[in-house]
Amino acid sequence: MPEPAKMRKPDVKVVILGDMNVGKTSLLHRYTERKFKDTISTVGGAFFLKQWGPYNISIWDTAGREQFHGLGSMYCRGASAVILTYDVTNWQTLAELEDRFLSLTDTANSDCIYAIVGNKADLTDSGTHRAEPLDGQTEQEGVGTELQPTGGGVGGGDPAALLQKQVSQEDARALYNRVLRYKGMEDKACPPAERLCFETSAKTGYNVDELFETIFDMVLPSILKKRSQGTPSTIDLEECRVPKSTKAGCC
Amino acid sequence: MFYSRGVCWSSGCEKQGDVSPVENHIHCDEGQPQTEEGSEAACPGISIVTDGFADSAPGDVSGGPASCEGEEHTHLDSQDTHLDSEDAHLDSEHTHLSAEQALDSASGEESQEDSGEFVAAMLARSRLEEQGLGVKGGSPPLADTGPSPPPPGLHRDEDVTADAWRAHRKHVFVLSEAGKPIYSRYGSEEALSSTMGVMMALVSFVQSGDNTIRSVHSDQHTVVFMQQGPLVLVSVSSSGQSEQQLRHELRYVYNQIVSMLTQASIARIFQHKKNYDLRRLLAGSEKILDGLLDLLDCDPSFLLSAVHCMPLASSLRDALSHVLQKAITPNLVFSILIAQGQLVTIVQERTVIEDARLEPADLHLLLNLIGASSAFQAGEIWTPICLPSFNPDCYFYAYISYLDPPSCSVCLLLLSTDKEAFYAVAECKRKIEEAMLAQNALAALAKARPYSATQVGVSDLRHFMYKPFDVPDNHRQLTQFTSPEMESPYSSEAEKTRLLDLYRDLHGRIHSTSRPLKLIYHVAERETLLAWVTSKFELYTCFSPLVTKASSINAITKLLRWIKKEEERLFIRYPPKYSTTPNPSRTRKAPEHDATDNGFLSLL
Repeated sequence: MPEPAKMRKPDVKVVILGDMNVGKTSLLHRYTERKFKDTISTVGGAFFLKQWGPYNISIWDTAGREQFHGLGSMYCRGASAVILTYDVTNWQTLAELEDRFLSLTDTANSDCIYAIVGNKADLTDSGTHRAEPLDGQTEQEGVGTELQPTGGGVGGGDPAALLQKQVSQEDARALYNRVLRYKGMEDKACPPAERLCFETSAKTGYNVDELFETIFDMVLPSILKKRSQGTPSTIDLEECRVPKSTKAGCC
Repeated sequence: MFYSRGVCWSSGCEKQGDVSPVENHIHCDEGQPQTEEGSEAACPGISIVTDGFADSAPGDVSGGPASCEGEEHTHLDSQDTHLDSEDAHLDSEHTHLSAEQALDSASGEESQEDSGEFVAAMLARSRLEEQGLGVKGGSPPLADTGPSPPPPGLHRDEDVTADAWRAHRKHVFVLSEAGKPIYSRYGSEEALSSTMGVMMALVSFVQSGDNTIRSVHSDQHTVVFMQQGPLVLVSVSSSGQSEQQLRHELRYVYNQIVSMLTQASIARIFQHKKNYDLRRLLAGSEKILDGLLDLLDCDPSFLLSAVHCMPLASSLRDALSHVLQKAITPNLVFSILIAQGQLVTIVQERTVIEDARLEPADLHLLLNLIGASSAFQAGEIWTPICLPSFNPDCYFYAYISYLDPPSCSVCLLLLSTDKEAFYAVAECKRKIEEAMLAQNALAALAKARPYSATQVGVSDLRHFMYKPFDVPDNHRQLTQFTSPEMESPYSSEAEKTRLLDLYRDLHGRIHSTSRPLKLIYHVAERETLLAWVTSKFELYTCFSPLVTKASSINAITKLLRWIKKEEERLFIRYPPKYSTTPNPSRTRKAPEHDATDNGFLSLL
């Protein structure tokens, strides 16, 4: 059976958390499909396997609704990176990250990387907005035009009406530092807030690639560590079916 | 008089002939209604009803809660202005509102009487505008095609004061006992909070007399109330469906909500905080409820409480069942394969279904969940889901994945009782995927098509729905039905709806609590229908209008013979099973009660 032997096994796990309607699914969709479309509220969690160079990265796109909180810790178990997402036009979504979502990450790896991401940057009139048309032209010309009709339909995302930006970069960085403190990781060599606080726009694509690429780069050491140790933290069901791994090679 | 739709529940108030077309009646729980034609009410046997006959007695169609065996009634003095809890009959003077009255008092004050009038006014006004007063002859529910379906779109943004909003064929509202809006099919809940307040006022007014409001019947609208724990569900319909059918639909809506939260959590939430805004937990789920209500309107599976399974060569179905049977992991309880929205096969855990069976209603909710969530089309979903008929207080964990992206027509649904089992269950999917690939099953499934009524070989037969009761292994069997594709002249949406309305009406009459029937031969304007219920099956057929009674009976005999011959293809005859846990004593229990650790309480 050659097929199962080739089965992709995730090397590392990334979880996207955040309040409902901040654009978690849209961010992931922008990164994987290179486009922005209307999404339906996620139910439970959606599991994706992303090929990144020679590595397989599993991504859990979770539902932001309180209804599904029970599974939050399951999604986060053994995660190497957690993307905490908020909406820059809604202060409450940043507060929720600390109140509701941070505790869900208790089951993540001890060396887990945390990113704080403010999505919907295109809706505000700050500096990011100016970057938008430029961004759209350079890499997404075809998609950019096709976006116009769907864009207006997204909850309050009327391009004409720019919203007040409610969350500043400083607030996000302050939260990042509080996250590290909560995790007891301040003294460890953690990446500085500047590197892990992003403002993105799933709609225009602004900063989305940078976000995911940065995170994947940063989890690389944990992939390599895991590969060299060869000790899977989850029960590997494939192992018993594919007895050609290095450990089982004794007889 | 055709206007006896608002069947009186008491023979005291009741000179039926005098009932004015716009009179409104309220049905209460303990009210024992009397049908207006006692002589017929007492014969639940075979009764041949033709169009002309139906004209004279459309009253029984509305099927309110009724008892036919002449029960003793005591009646409230008609001067009395409140509900009497012992008698349970609303005073007739108080509740019968004329449309004029109602219209005039539309801007009524806050008193409960006025609230009632306000609701009646809303209903009466919309209906008067829609139809004019000239209801044409012929049996109204059968001839009425109803208004054309509203344009699809952003129902949430609808102007709730507009006529178009009132003209919707069927409204469904969900509110909490505290009168807080939870869901409305059309328009935003916020905009409707006063309307829902009125509904709650009606409910509690009747409740204060130790009674329960069941329905309000006006000329063309039926308002059905259903209270389920801390939730109140209200259906306002001009579809001509029976109260029973509307109540059945409301139960689906309630169950869909339970499937997302569990009954225990809902009860607990409201115990903690009476005025909790449940939309906080349901936010994002509106599409699922919208989808369910659309399905209820267009899919007869709900009406028949049976599952429509995809017609498939039994060899292929068996092979697929075998594939599912092989791919197991501990605590897996159901493996379900769905193609084009129809059930292909289902494998059930042996010990689990000994305790409780999977009801069609639960499967319908699962199918709706899949259909309403396009997010499922990418990636693999893992989500808690409660099957209310199976156990309303516990969660299963559902793994949902499409096997044929990007066309996404073949969907695999695996249910486990173990919250942590995602990776193990996902591994089952890989095995299933592999095995199906090896058998080229996806290509075979893609070729599966609904069948046509012409295949039966009966010239006048246009369409039918057949639900057998005599399936083998009955105890553990999933109730199924079979039906051909709706073809010309029922290919347009409007015509499909019209045919379904005809079926619904026949179904309502067959299952009427006051006067159940076994056989109805109904000659309508553009077709002739025959509905027949026996101890072995329930059958609804639609013929061309020129068929005779004798030839239709003949045709049904042929149809039954054809179904018998095709049985293996049309139904899942012997639902396969597996045992996923070596130690059966562990799984004998229903799934673990872990509603508590789903995080609700911590949020309150």
